[in-house]
Amino acid sequence: MRATLAQMQYRLHNTPHLLRLGRLFSDTVLLEVDGAEFYLTFRDGWLETIVEGPSRKTPWRFAFRTDADALAQFWQPIPKPGFHDIFGLVKIGRGRIDGDILALVKNLRFFKEFMGLARAEARTEELA
Amino acid sequence: MSFEPITGRYLNITVQGRRQRIYVETEGKGTPVLCLHTAGADTRQWRHILNDADLTAAHQFFAFDMPWHGKSLPPEGFQTEEYLLTTEAYMETVLAVSRALGLDCPILAGCSMGGRIALQLAALHGDAFSGFIAIEASDFQPAWYDIDWFHRPDAHGGEMGAALVSANISPFAPKAERWNTLWMFMQSGPGVFRGDLSFYTRDDSLIGRLAQIDTARTRVHLLVGAYDLTCTPEDARRTAAAIPGATCTVMEELGHFPMSEHPAGFRPFFLDALTRMKVPADV
Repeated sequence: MRATLAQMQYRLHNTPHLLRLGRLFSDTVLLEVDGAEFYLTFRDGWLETIVEGPSRKTPWRFAFRTDADALAQFWQPIPKPGFHDIFGLVKIGRGRIDGDILALVKNLRFFKEFMGLARAEARTEELA
Repeated sequence: MSFEPITGRYLNITVQGRRQRIYVETEGKGTPVLCLHTAGADTRQWRHILNDADLTAAHQFFAFDMPWHGKSLPPEGFQTEEYLLTTEAYMETVLAVSRALGLDCPILAGCSMGGRIALQLAALHGDAFSGFIAIEASDFQPAWYDIDWFHRPDAHGGEMGAALVSANISPFAPKAERWNTLWMFMQSGPGVFRGDLSFYTRDDSLIGRLAQIDTARTRVHLLVGAYDLTCTPEDARRTAAAIPGATCTVMEELGHFPMSEHPAGFRPFFLDALTRMKVPADV
């Protein structure tokens, strides 16, 4: 997961339209996969740090919790229904969003496209 | 010169005592079909159908922008009111447009909230139409989100709405049409998507009316995309099962905006639905 997140970080920093969309986003997001915590701290759209948990001290704005198999399906070039969107994962019971959901919604396109950056094919724009 | 065949004109009608200037697009000859767009969008969702020469050879399609949407203005005095669509106003608008266009029992084809109101009209005004194609339509879905997210001074409701509804678009949708579909939501007027969602997520009156729908008189066919998270195939199947004689088809590679997000994928399902409208219900 750490390598995947590093790849997503690299792709984000080389995707000008995403950096533009996220230019007002400076928050920490908790990504939890099979119980493993990853604290992603964004500043002005750039992913500054990826810090592995567990941590009870790290504040976060919102959290997206899921499992590795669901993420693997989410990152397929053509995901199955329900696995095609982070809200789909929530709908089918394979994901959960906690915290300041409005902060997520205000930056929804940015975060969904960021989460799509690990998709097997370079189709993140339309699949995020 | 390469104009598309679609013609757009404005219609002035009165709905619930208020003047409304309605934008209508039309094309074709033959069986009249009145098309309704989804929440937070407009008539452009239907442009691929209206530009389909094979379909327009035998059907005259009409699509109109609801008040507050697309090129239809809000009514006079809108600047101080909160837009909240109601079942009654929606039904009266559709009926008034159909009358003003001089349509004789058209087929009604609506998507999402347009599909919901098509089923309401099937229950309460079935004699005004010759059939109902209810796309991504179901009895009721409460919102899992806060509709107030989409009308607030510190964020762009259209951009947030587009990001939300992108969850309902199939990964099979061509990229260009995915983004054309989302652009309509981005352009939606302030508070309009929220006002549509108020109708869609709070009025459950259709549930008790489904059994009233007389499919022996007018056919009802539901179409639902497998990638639709808002109106899932289970929602559409449940709704169809509650309407004696209604039929339902699941479109495996499509989402919540099929005529807009993936026109080529939607076409055979829509053609089949139009064909079903001509077949007596007891066959």
